[in-house]
Order: sequence, then structure tokens, then C-alpha cells
Amino acid sequence: MAKFSPVTGRYVTFEVMGDELKVFFLENGSGQPLVCQHTAGCHNHQWRDLLEDEEITQNYRVIAYDLVRHGKSDPPKNKEWWKEEYRLTADYYVAFITAFCDALELEDPIFMGSSFGGQVALQLALRHPDRFAAVIPVEAADYSPGFFLDWWQHPHANAAQVCASGVWDLMAPQSPDQDRWATWFYYTQGSEAFRGDLYFYSVDHDLRGRLGEIDAEKCPVVIMNAEYDYLTTPEEGRQTAEQIPGAEFIEMKGIGHFPMSENYPVFKQHLQQALQKIESKLGARTG
Amino acid sequence: MAAETAVTSGWIEDFRRASDEDAELQAHGRYYSCAYLLDMEEHSYLVQMHAGKVEEILEDPGPLDDRYQFIIRASAETWRGFGQETPPPMHHGIFAAAFRTDLSLEGDLLVLMQNLRCVVRQIELLRQTGVPV
Repeated sequence: MAKFSPVTGRYVTFEVMGDELKVFFLENGSGQPLVCQHTAGCHNHQWRDLLEDEEITQNYRVIAYDLVRHGKSDPPKNKEWWKEEYRLTADYYVAFITAFCDALELEDPIFMGSSFGGQVALQLALRHPDRFAAVIPVEAADYSPGFFLDWWQHPHANAAQVCASGVWDLMAPQSPDQDRWATWFYYTQGSEAFRGDLYFYSVDHDLRGRLGEIDAEKCPVVIMNAEYDYLTTPEEGRQTAEQIPGAEFIEMKGIGHFPMSENYPVFKQHLQQALQKIESKLGARTG
Repeated sequence: MAAETAVTSGWIEDFRRASDEDAELQAHGRYYSCAYLLDMEEHSYLVQMHAGKVEEILEDPGPLDDRYQFIIRASAETWRGFGQETPPPMHHGIFAAAFRTDLSLEGDLLVLMQNLRCVVRQIELLRQTGVPV
């Protein structure tokens, strides 16, 4: 018996800093928009279980897009992009996300992203606290050096396997094999974007000394880092939260750097906690 | 020392069997041919792989005994973490440990990257065999 998922996919076209983009997104649910960013070199299937979670989608319109050059979102249509080295900058990334939210006319969205999506969540809270109701930076820190590497697309090695097996032990050994291998599989698909994404992750994203400028009273910030993440440890997530006035921190035990994709049931418990914290902050403001 | 030798030689056989019988390595290891040194502080092992099978494992090789392309070097204590069934954080993979423990990756890292999937899997087999240190 065939079974259809309630998740639907669409394309939307808009412009970002002169680039004409046709962007693919998946969505399900109704209520406050919860906009989800995948990790570097990946695509929106990392959010597959959240998108189909009846409990969450009862109250939230979950939207997971593919960043330009990822998944089904092609590189810019009006540009000879193959003649340039791809390096994602904080300015472009932030402009993309706000343009996407504007294109969909989203009101008071909560933004959630993991890894380089977590780092950009911090950038959004800093630069556009009025545009977002709250942000949930997952696997985030003020700075995450060391991953902008040529190995990810070295012509003498199998880039698909280097990317996928290179991020393998960002995941926890306790996470189910099926989900870890699905995540590995996604990572075989994005090697051409991965290195350029990591330019943002390890070079251009640097909020050291600037976290105090984020106002988590205006735009609530709940940071969540996982125990098996070797790039941004729980300790680094906690230290980042401590430097942001009003920010909160949740440590996720027994899980790694791709929590929503490697072990959704464990991630969900923490996500619900984060959403409750945000709801009570926003409720206190209006009440 | 005799007891120790018995323990470690048992490990060599266990590790060989775990590798040669591992479904993933055998399904994807057709081109997995290289040699690397596992330096565990108290002992070192030169692992020679050919077409996904263990050709030979030399224990504590002498300085000129044979060649290898890269080294995975860490303290015995770090390797003991790798040898647990559920390794503690930062002992659950060579990249994690290289970023956060005393483990270092040395030599021709291109060969490591060319064989990364199989090396990562083979090192995980230490969770089944334990480590000889």
C-alpha cells in the first residue's frame, strides 16, 4: 500500500546580491515558521524526520530549504559560477536567508541551523534581531577554525568519500546505523560545495569579542551543542552562550554534530526544550 | 613479557579476522591497498593491506623492516578509548581524536585520504577486538 508523506516541495525564485536564484524547499505544518538550515555540503533531507513529526508540525510550519549550490537549489542562473572559486561569506549567507524569508513572506520566523547553519544563526541574531522571532544555533560557537581544507575536493582522492567519511566521526557511535549512513550518503553528494561552505565556517565566521553585541532579549538565542561534536564541543557552546546576554545553552548527551539527521528522537527532546524556552520568553514579552 | 606477547599476538589474529570478515570492508575494499603504522606508544603495528585484505601485520617493526605510507600515532591511553565498545567522546574516530586528543596523523596524508572510508572502518573494528596496549 503506497503511503504519501505530508511534506511538500516547491521552488521559489528571488535575488541575492545580484544573483538570480531558484531555491528548493520542503515544508509541512502550520503555525509559527521554523526555518531550518542544513549543514555544510549537505541538503535539506537532514531535517526529514522533523518535517514529518506530527507533534511539532501541529504548532510550527517547518520549512527546510536547500541553500544555493546544494541539493536541488542550482548555482546562480545569471552567473558564470564555474569560472570562480566558491567561497561562502557571512554577508552573502545572511542576505540569502533574509531574502528567502522575505520571498515566502514569513512573519516572526524562528531560525534553526546546525554547524555552519548554527554559526549563521548567531550572525542573524547579531545583524537582524528584528527579522527573526528567535534563533536556535545548533553545534555553534563564536569561532570554529580548522575545517577549510583542500582535502574536501582534492583531485587525487575520491572527494565524495573524503567528505562523507571525513565527517563520519562527527557523529556519535550510539546513533542508529541507518541514520548515520543516510547522513554519510548525503555527504557523498556535496563535495563541490563543502569546501566553499567551510570558508564561512572556519574563516569568515569569527564573532570572537563580538558576542556581547547580540541582544538575546530582543531575539532569543538557545544554543545546543552535542557531546560527540569534535568541532564545536559542548564546552565551547556553553562559553559562547555565556558571552551573549540573555542566551541559553542546552547540552545534548550521546549524540554528535548532525543531531537532527543522525538521531532524531534524541534531538527532538532537546528541540522541544529549546522551543519551550523560546515560547516562554516570547509569551512573557506579549503577556 | 611472555604473557604480553601472547596477548598482542592474539590481537593481531583478532584484528586480521575482524578486517577480513567485515562485510563493509569486503564490499568496498577492492582498491584498499596501502600500508600504515599504528603507533600505540607501548607497541606499534605495521598494517599492510592488499585489495581489502590484511596481507601482514608486523608487531614493533625495526627501523628498516618495511615501508609504510602514513602513521596514526597516539598514546596508549588514547588508544584504550578507541578499544571500548562504546568509545568516549573524542576517542570515536581518527579525525575527532586528531582535533581533540594527542593523536596525530603523519606521513603521506594523501594515501590516507584516498583510502579514508576503509581506514575509518578498519579503525572502528578496534571496538570489537580491543587494543593490545
